Amino acid sequence: MIPLIVALVVVALYLVGFYNGLKTIQVQIAASIQEIGNQLKRQAELIPNLADSVKGYLKHEKSIFADLTAARKLIDQALTSKSPQSIDKAQTSLNKAIKSIQVVVESNPQIKGSEVVANLMNELRDTADKVMYSRRTFIDLSADFNVKITTVPGVWLAGLLGFKPEKGLATPATGEHLEVSASETTPPKISL
Amino acid sequence: MINVYEQVSTNKTKSAVIISLFIGFVIAATWIITTILDLDPSLILFASLFSFASSVTSFYFGDRIVLSLNGARPANRQEFFDFYTATENLAMANRLPPPKIYVIDSPSPNAFATGRDPQHAVVCATTGLLQKLNRSQLEAVIAHELSHIANFDTRLMTLVSVLVGSLSILSDLLLRQRRYSSNDDRRHNSGPLMVVGLILLVLSPLIAQLIQLAISRRREFLADASAVKTTRQPASLIEALEIISTDSSKANFASPATAPLYITNPFRHQKLASLFSTHPPISERVAALKSML
Repeated sequence: MIPLIVALVVVALYLVGFYNGLKTIQVQIAASIQEIGNQLKRQAELIPNLADSVKGYLKHEKSIFADLTAARKLIDQALTSKSPQSIDKAQTSLNKAIKSIQVVVESNPQIKGSEVVANLMNELRDTADKVMYSRRTFIDLSADFNVKITTVPGVWLAGLLGFKPEKGLATPATGEHLEVSASETTPPKISL
Repeated sequence: MINVYEQVSTNKTKSAVIISLFIGFVIAATWIITTILDLDPSLILFASLFSFASSVTSFYFGDRIVLSLNGARPANRQEFFDFYTATENLAMANRLPPPKIYVIDSPSPNAFATGRDPQHAVVCATTGLLQKLNRSQLEAVIAHELSHIANFDTRLMTLVSVLVGSLSILSDLLLRQRRYSSNDDRRHNSGPLMVVGLILLVLSPLIAQLIQLAISRRREFLADASAVKTTRQPASLIEALEIISTDSSKANFASPATAPLYITNPFRHQKLASLFSTHPPISERVAALKSML
């Protein structure tokens, strides 16, 4: 009788631990999605200010400011919906604006040297890093969660307790980004 | 290979053991000396108070002591943009509260972390490091330090360095008495204290051995590996380690007691110090990282 009770208690404790562990990760995942949104919002608010500081250099690039406004709208939508997929879409749009700023700066040697622009490039890199690391947190947490509910013994219990795999960020499972072309396998040559 | 959670609990246990050993050692040493030399037994009470006080101090103020011993000053975002922001970002990636950020004005590139837990953590780099590394190499070094914080290595290492430091200062002070006393009368008075100093001096290789046991070299490999897990760029850490280890500028900020805290041994140019080194050779660390490329 006593061994049976002990066994039941052990199983019950394991179940509680398993359930709480998964719930904890779920809360962390929700928080990490908010963090991505938070970083995107910071980025969206920062970049127009930075772009303003170099406005003199960018005055022929009206499209950059249009892109930035569009991206901010998408970010606001993503923040209300809180879905990782719409956050991802907003980020793609913001990246487009950042890229065009970078292209303008890179192609003008005389503005590249100025301190304001150097500061702009530093901030751009940092804000991109912040978004990247907040996405990585989300990716890592989702992976942890999915490993727990798809491996033995979790896989037997996850269904019973109603846990479903996390979808993670929307990256298509097939497509160009997974294929390596022959030209990409050769190391890039840079002539200075 | 032990995982991070086991590493955290071993570090907490070892920290408690180090404190108990330290208190035990000081009290036992005083007891033996007072019995042999037939001194006032109230010295034992004094020793217990001293050892308790220094344990509490090194636990709660160890980080500040280490920072001021190394001459560190707080870093601001404007002056050290890359250092400040990279630390902020990596702390977020490791799900740690943002640590305080300090710099040491020295051309010798090196970095360390301290603090009793992630809520009271400090990351400190020399200005040489910040000048000589690019941003991704710097990120690799900071990620290495942050994993020491997450693993509670900083608690153990700070405790050890402050406690050992206090012992070596004590032994130094007691031995120095002899140099300043010229006449027989004063030498007679400082006799018992000198004996204590000599005992501490004789015991120091033993203490060094103890530190070796506490600070297993494996934690550097573990921190390197976690750094790579955060940055996903083993090449940057390899480059950073190579830049740090081939640099010839003199490290005038560190003392033997604080040396184990640094990412690479600040005294690697000296033969005797490398004998007691708590760091594995850079070549071994680089080899381990190259297998991740």
